[in-house]
Amino acid sequence: MSILPTTRRRGADDATDRRLPPREGEVIDRRRTVGFTWNGTRYTGHPGDTIVSALAAAGERVFSRSYKYHRPRGLLTASYLDPGTMVQVGDEPNVRGAHRLLTPGLEVSSQNTWPSLRFDVKAVNGLAGRFLATGFYYKTFIRPERLWPAYEKVLRTFVHAGEVPPDTDRGYYDKRHAHPDVVVAGGGPAGMAAAVAAARAGASVMLVEEEHQLGGHLRWGGPGDRAALHDLRAQVAAQPGIEVLTDSVVAARYDDNWIPIVQRSLSGVDERLIKARAGALVVAPGLIERPYVFAGNDLPGVVLSTAVRRLVNLWAVQPGQRAVVLTANPEGDAAIADLEDARVEVAAVVDARRGETITAAHGRQGVRAVELGDGSRIEADLLVTAVGWTAPTSLLNQSGDNPVYDPRTARFRPDPARMPENVLAAGGIVGEGDVVQVVEHADAVGREAARRALRTAGTAVTVPDLAVADHPEIFSNGTGGFVDLSEDVSAKDIVTAAAEGYDSVELVKRYTTATMGPGQGKLETVNTVAILAEATGSTIAATGTTTWRPMYAPVTLGALAGRPREPVRYSPMHPWHERHGAVPLVAGQWIRPDHYGDPAAEVTAVRTTVGLIDVTPIGKLDLRGPDVPKLLELLYVNKWQKLGVGRVRYGVMCAEDGVVLDDGVTGRLGEQHYLMSTTSSGAAAVWEWAERWLQTARPQWQVHVTPVTTAYASVNVAGPRSRELLRRLTDLDLGAESFGYMSVRTGTVAGVADCVLWRIGFTGELSFEVHVPAAYGLHVWEQLMAAGEDLGVRPFGVEAQRILRLEKGHAIVGQDTDGLTQGFSAGVDELIKLDKPDFVGKPELVWQHGRDTHPRLVGLRTLDGTIVPPEASQILDRAGGIAGRVTSSRMSPTLGRSIGLAQLDRELAAVGTRVTVRLPDGRDVVAEVTGRVHVDPEGERQRV
Amino acid sequence: MMLLPCPWCGPRNAGEFKYAGEGGARPDPATTTPEEWRRYLYFHANTRGWVTESWYHGAGCRRWLVVERHTLTHEVRGVRDAVQVAREGTR
Amino acid sequence: MTSTNGNGNGHRNGRVRGYSAWSLLRHGLSRSEWPRAWHDRELRPSYDAVIIGGGVHGLATAYYLAKNHGMTNVAVLDRSYIGGGGSGRNTSILRSNYLTPEGVRFYDRSVKLYEHLAADLNFNVMFSQRGHLTLAHNDASMRTMAWRTEVNKLQGVESEVIGPDEVKELVPYLDTSAETRYPILGALYHPPGGVVRHDAVVWGYARAADAHGVHIHQKTEVTGIDVERGRVTGVQTTRGRIATPVVLNATAGWSSLISDMAGVAMPVQTFPLQAAVTEPVRPFLDTVVVSGTLHVYVSQSDRGELVFGASVDPFASYSMRGSLEFTEGIAGHVLELMPALAKMRLLRQWAGLCDMTPDYSPIMGPTPVEGFYVDVGWGTYGFKAGPVSGEAMAACLAEEKPPEIISAFGLDRFLSGRLVGEKGAAAVGH
Repeated sequence: MSILPTTRRRGADDATDRRLPPREGEVIDRRRTVGFTWNGTRYTGHPGDTIVSALAAAGERVFSRSYKYHRPRGLLTASYLDPGTMVQVGDEPNVRGAHRLLTPGLEVSSQNTWPSLRFDVKAVNGLAGRFLATGFYYKTFIRPERLWPAYEKVLRTFVHAGEVPPDTDRGYYDKRHAHPDVVVAGGGPAGMAAAVAAARAGASVMLVEEEHQLGGHLRWGGPGDRAALHDLRAQVAAQPGIEVLTDSVVAARYDDNWIPIVQRSLSGVDERLIKARAGALVVAPGLIERPYVFAGNDLPGVVLSTAVRRLVNLWAVQPGQRAVVLTANPEGDAAIADLEDARVEVAAVVDARRGETITAAHGRQGVRAVELGDGSRIEADLLVTAVGWTAPTSLLNQSGDNPVYDPRTARFRPDPARMPENVLAAGGIVGEGDVVQVVEHADAVGREAARRALRTAGTAVTVPDLAVADHPEIFSNGTGGFVDLSEDVSAKDIVTAAAEGYDSVELVKRYTTATMGPGQGKLETVNTVAILAEATGSTIAATGTTTWRPMYAPVTLGALAGRPREPVRYSPMHPWHERHGAVPLVAGQWIRPDHYGDPAAEVTAVRTTVGLIDVTPIGKLDLRGPDVPKLLELLYVNKWQKLGVGRVRYGVMCAEDGVVLDDGVTGRLGEQHYLMSTTSSGAAAVWEWAERWLQTARPQWQVHVTPVTTAYASVNVAGPRSRELLRRLTDLDLGAESFGYMSVRTGTVAGVADCVLWRIGFTGELSFEVHVPAAYGLHVWEQLMAAGEDLGVRPFGVEAQRILRLEKGHAIVGQDTDGLTQGFSAGVDELIKLDKPDFVGKPELVWQHGRDTHPRLVGLRTLDGTIVPPEASQILDRAGGIAGRVTSSRMSPTLGRSIGLAQLDRELAAVGTRVTVRLPDGRDVVAEVTGRVHVDPEGERQRV
Repeated sequence: MMLLPCPWCGPRNAGEFKYAGEGGARPDPATTTPEEWRRYLYFHANTRGWVTESWYHGAGCRRWLVVERHTLTHEVRGVRDAVQVAREGTR
Repeated sequence: MTSTNGNGNGHRNGRVRGYSAWSLLRHGLSRSEWPRAWHDRELRPSYDAVIIGGGVHGLATAYYLAKNHGMTNVAVLDRSYIGGGGSGRNTSILRSNYLTPEGVRFYDRSVKLYEHLAADLNFNVMFSQRGHLTLAHNDASMRTMAWRTEVNKLQGVESEVIGPDEVKELVPYLDTSAETRYPILGALYHPPGGVVRHDAVVWGYARAADAHGVHIHQKTEVTGIDVERGRVTGVQTTRGRIATPVVLNATAGWSSLISDMAGVAMPVQTFPLQAAVTEPVRPFLDTVVVSGTLHVYVSQSDRGELVFGASVDPFASYSMRGSLEFTEGIAGHVLELMPALAKMRLLRQWAGLCDMTPDYSPIMGPTPVEGFYVDVGWGTYGFKAGPVSGEAMAACLAEEKPPEIISAFGLDRFLSGRLVGEKGAAAVGH
């Protein structure tokens, strides 16, 4: 046997044609064929085939190797949940081969099999199985400790899954918001009937079906079922107001019926997340057939009765040649008829209702023989089990319901009394009955769902009872076998775990990993609970079940993310900056020029002639009303009552715990009209803060707050020749007398009316901040640049701004302060007016001042002026402990030396103190504490 | 996502609002003690059940609201405008 | 001293025994049963100490009380099953690259204990020291990373700031190009950080505490705490009263409620913290990747699943139902960092409860009620502190005063205004 997959030809070995003659109700289009490859070999199928149905039709029956022991695995459910049919499709891992439809050219391969699916070397693990019992890794690799990393590397090679190539394309995913009156989860007979009834009652309905067609089990039923199917489908098609979503799944139910629906099989969209706010949710997922746990239950050829019915009736695939059927219910009986119809020899029928049972399945690559309870041994390549059902109650659990085990029906059932008013259930999850009864029940549920969603007056719809069929309790026969095929957890593992003390359902789940695989326990949970209950001498009801968490079915990260939407903000001058070589800086939401190539030269321009900086992101709030001064007095630590019209003042805000919150200048434009500026990142928070105080604490004050940040474009014109420049574009009197330092004026600049100019400056130079109606921002900027050409005007960016403000010792909130820095540690002592009767955070600042133990914000200069200690360098006390840190540092182009600001313990904070700064490279340098203002401490330059 | 019934805008996704938590009465800054003030700052009932708390409808009417919400079930049984509550002097 | 405590999980000279490659082989060959990891015991009418909360903090405290202080007449109570709260719901990331010297020293001790925990407990907790990367997307976070690095180094903890190229080398799937919305400017690289198997830590402590004679009572809910004349005398439970002079509240999500029973107010607010896992894929991510700006942390488990976490939910709640917004946010941010993962599928989400304190640091030590101690307020970082908290709280209970390593974390700091400064960096600090 060759181990090179590409050399294996289709038709070799046991691969033969298992396609049956055309069948009523089949979903394949035989007129066309679809080619694809499986582990490098070419295969064909028909449109409508799943990957696995096409492979099964070609005679394949091993699709994967198991997690731990690398045992061959075949199909079990022939549905999305099938644990043995996960495959890699191109760059997409973990594709459900029994659900994904064939499309031309698919490259399908088995996952984590080496060198090939047929011959997998890790299958030797099976021989070591007795030593790899559950939780074995907790019990070994403990000593010597140094070897654990090597062991871990080996363990990681056993990860059983597909691959994500690093160059995988981001793909196209999107989202949609919907507000349906009713969402129906499940498109079987109950779901269809409920949807039709709700829509007839006037509700808008989304009918969501996980499979590729509506109909549920009616699709693989007999003539009666097919007739009902046609009728219901026709009703759905004819009824306005129903949106049908197939190959889609209701992934979860969150608070207030916030319902994500994952929509697949779209053209041009990899996957879509529909976010529905539904008036009512009807949960109608049907029932999931439960596997049986016995020795050999994981062999290829052991299949569920529903899988047989699906294979035969949907895809016309003969599931085997000689079968043993273990049946405990009518679905199993129907599977027998299907088998016979498909010319499969039914060698034995084992009827659990008569107390008959099977002992084990035997074989290596697949079932060869089945051992019955009476000791007889029957040659067969197919063992079909029909031993009961699991109600997939996830969506109901997420709505507050706790399922209760009902021994009569051998399944956990929902407790409708615990469901919220806007969630209802229909179909198999509620009970059994023939199609007529199920439809009648669902019809009433649909009408009631519409009534609740539309808040229609009148009495509740009477929902008839849905009979519940008794079912024998059959979970495992005690001979062994696997309880979780995805995770390779055996029945014995559960028993062992319980004996070791992991004896509650949550502990056994975590210790063995049973139910934690891709199906999230839909096939496995009840068997796990049943085996655990037996092992602990308890009942299933007392043992209980685990919590069903979202998602109901896995959702791609792409769909959850949707299209990338991370908005950024640009100032109106941004195109100019781009054209002039600005290096962009991401500053919160804003993209700003960091510099235009030479920040030091930009600084020098401001100090010697004139520069322009785009400060549009500065937060701006328009405040109006008679009580604005009171508000300012409350929010800021300093005083505002006496601020005259035309004057501007700098202020600092603290929170109630005294921690510095924000800063900025506020100017008085008119008797009852102020303009407040905030930090760029604080704009929204300060607005909210002001509204909070106004609305919750001072409702009697008359103040109206309007955010105007982006209503204005803002330019700071800074430098000794800024007045000269600005004069060329405005008639406003810019003279030192008439427009003094810390004043505000409104007027026309470059022909643009309603500009606000304040004479302030973080640069320490004569400067004017011009706020221009945003639409004219670019115009004014260009006019300024043009008018200042002969003056040597140049633009400067954020980096130069940082240097300039550092030269002037202005702190940046959030950089020179942190989340616990109170007012007196921010270098604004002279601003804090403790004689005001009240302001936000005052008590804490009173106490901080009184204790006088707080760190200080100080200026710092290294003795060797060529060394700039990077920001965050730590300052050490004499014992080598941390006494502070450098919060800002730069080489000053103006002084030609290193300057900085630092947070420093009080004991070391006196001007002239020498401190040790530990550089990141480990060197220590000596620095001297200075005043914060490094350039022009008297402030003469800005007052001219 | 929970719905909050805004008295001005109607039922809206909670994501439109900013949560500001339980608020206690602000002590008189003139007479307060450190202990009293810090209880106001840091200590909340943190009830597992019905609480009265502040939310800000930042993506809607920009009103501060006083919400009665159950912290386990997320049921909401009362939403009032903060100004109205403040004027009544009750919370 | 040798004790077998009923069966095979004994300890000799304080060291728990019973698990090894040899015993695995022996059990495999003989197919004999393993001894119980811990036992169901009768509830005694009195204990020397009662620990409320069977998570890693409570069990570790019990273990160190027995091992380090010889106190074995101790009960650990849990209303449900052990490790069912925050200990089983976290994303199991360990690190010590905090911001404050107090924080760094404390978590460094925890990492050191974790490094030898498997051998100490005779239970492989699978601590994988694969390195921990905190990405920085802007100047401010670069500064914070540098700040943490400098403080870490001064405390002897290995951390460094690295550039985008080195980041790319460690995690090739990260998009380190400059054109992204949140460009990766660099990262704080912390080689000792990593992940551990969280349940194993709980079980290892439970088994070891049990071997030392500690009683673990699951499904035993505390309904009241008896306080007489300012001191604890007992606890009321759903299985009856227990007399005890010492009670430790080692709960999360219930810490206000339990403390209220003793009449002690806690400055905490309870918020859900959500996490999620994807379906497994073949291993490709060897380090823990965190982005504070994007509120996301990612690691790949030994099972191949990506484990995701974020910051706490935006509003206080005791609900553990989870939200769609969390999964949308986390997926969006993960793809922002690693666009190749779009086709991976999110399998399951869950939530745990976090008791957030005003300064993002825990509350540990005595309370105004004599004999009533707390180890609460663990926010989103409790699991990584399990061992050191157990060690410190055991010392605190046995010696009736908090050891130096937790002296900064006392309850009184909130009234005296001596907050711990982790807030600056810990908002998303995994």
